[in-house]
Amino acid sequence: MTIEQELADQCRFVDELIGDQASEWDAQAKIPNDILRHLGTQGLLCPQVPASVGGPGFSSLDAGELTAHLGSRCSSTRSVMTSHGMAAWCIQKLADHDQRKLYLPELTSGKLAAVGFTEPGAGSDLSEMTTRISRRGKGAVVDGHKVWVTGASYADFVVVFGRIENGAVAVVVPMSSPGVRVEAITDALGCRAAGHANIYFDNVQVPADNILGHEAQSLPLIITTALSYGRLSVAWGCVGILRACLAQAASHARTRRQFGKPLEQHQLIKRYLAELFVLEQSAAQLCEHASRSWDAATPDTAIKAVLAKQVSARNAAQASAMAVQVLASAGARGSGLVTRAYRDSKLMEIIEGSTEICQLLLADHAMSLY
Amino acid sequence: MNSEKYLQADSSEDRVTGELLAMLRKRLKTTVRPEQDLFTEGMINSMFALELVVQIENAFDVAVEGRDLDMANFRSVNAMANLVRRLAE
Repeated sequence: MTIEQELADQCRFVDELIGDQASEWDAQAKIPNDILRHLGTQGLLCPQVPASVGGPGFSSLDAGELTAHLGSRCSSTRSVMTSHGMAAWCIQKLADHDQRKLYLPELTSGKLAAVGFTEPGAGSDLSEMTTRISRRGKGAVVDGHKVWVTGASYADFVVVFGRIENGAVAVVVPMSSPGVRVEAITDALGCRAAGHANIYFDNVQVPADNILGHEAQSLPLIITTALSYGRLSVAWGCVGILRACLAQAASHARTRRQFGKPLEQHQLIKRYLAELFVLEQSAAQLCEHASRSWDAATPDTAIKAVLAKQVSARNAAQASAMAVQVLASAGARGSGLVTRAYRDSKLMEIIEGSTEICQLLLADHAMSLY
Repeated sequence: MNSEKYLQADSSEDRVTGELLAMLRKRLKTTVRPEQDLFTEGMINSMFALELVVQIENAFDVAVEGRDLDMANFRSVNAMANLVRRLAE
């Protein structure tokens, strides 16, 4: 089977699994557990995990197209995918050989994971992180408070970033550990069913072997490593939002008649359709550009991921507002597709490096080039 | 050039350092000294360090991961050269 056939098969699998249930999940702020387990056992929540450890072994480009497809169906499910995939990426990059062999097969066989970065006092400025990981004999103790952990309500374990000795580490914490308390966020602006939660860690004891890489590392570097995956995944998810908005707006413009003709024949509506197309195409091209860099392991991949995320999130927010405008009253209710897109895309401008943080990174990069 | 060649070369120390200096000169469009602290002079942030990780991996055929993802390894050209030599062993 070619990779194109496999990707098409996986997209059909996603279509059959999700169907038209995303609105209902959004309204209930919950994705049925068996849906996520189904996706997880196929390895589709972390498609870039290599085949050598049981993963699908997708390239970044193919994983991106799958992410966009999932994102066009349900941004909440795609957000869980991003969080889970980022956990897998952290393990791929920060763990040693034995830890990779232990955890990655679990992540491709139905266990769900999330990643904890943000804290009450450490959002855009993660250098303010205070979660403490201390060695105690053959174990480690985790104390701290993470907020807005996507997928946490569904996760079997969470990869927690925190301070240790003179540096920082990521540690794998089973959610069933004594001392872990999860406080679900059910009224999020967007991606309401993505299992966002605050997590409290109170004297949580885990084996020292759960510390990825075992030794203290640099917080900025391990955070940037992890976020690069997340940024590109979110960017592709935004392409999915853009495609869903474009499809919905086009369908409505073709069938809805006002002033004696279909909306598509009104010039002001045609302008919206043209702009939607431009926003989708430009975001998709930048995502493809970043993924090709990722797959070729070029040095500027991380900044290309920032660029893709910045443009895709902004475009998705603009496009979803246009789609709501085209659908008008038909797009102004509860958990409908464009209504969800309008709320979900705004969240995309905040997470994985806000639009403003991305702009600062892009400005620094531009200054280093010119 | 791969890591084996670096290990075999008599003057590997100079060659690694020289290639790193050239790499930085090309990217930063300025000349740096091997011992120069690139952090305190604001020349390297975490994004650029990650770029260097990939450049070093590609140029020297090594894998920089796990505990080696340490900003201290990118503080100066000398620190980067020490990292490359240790990983190539």
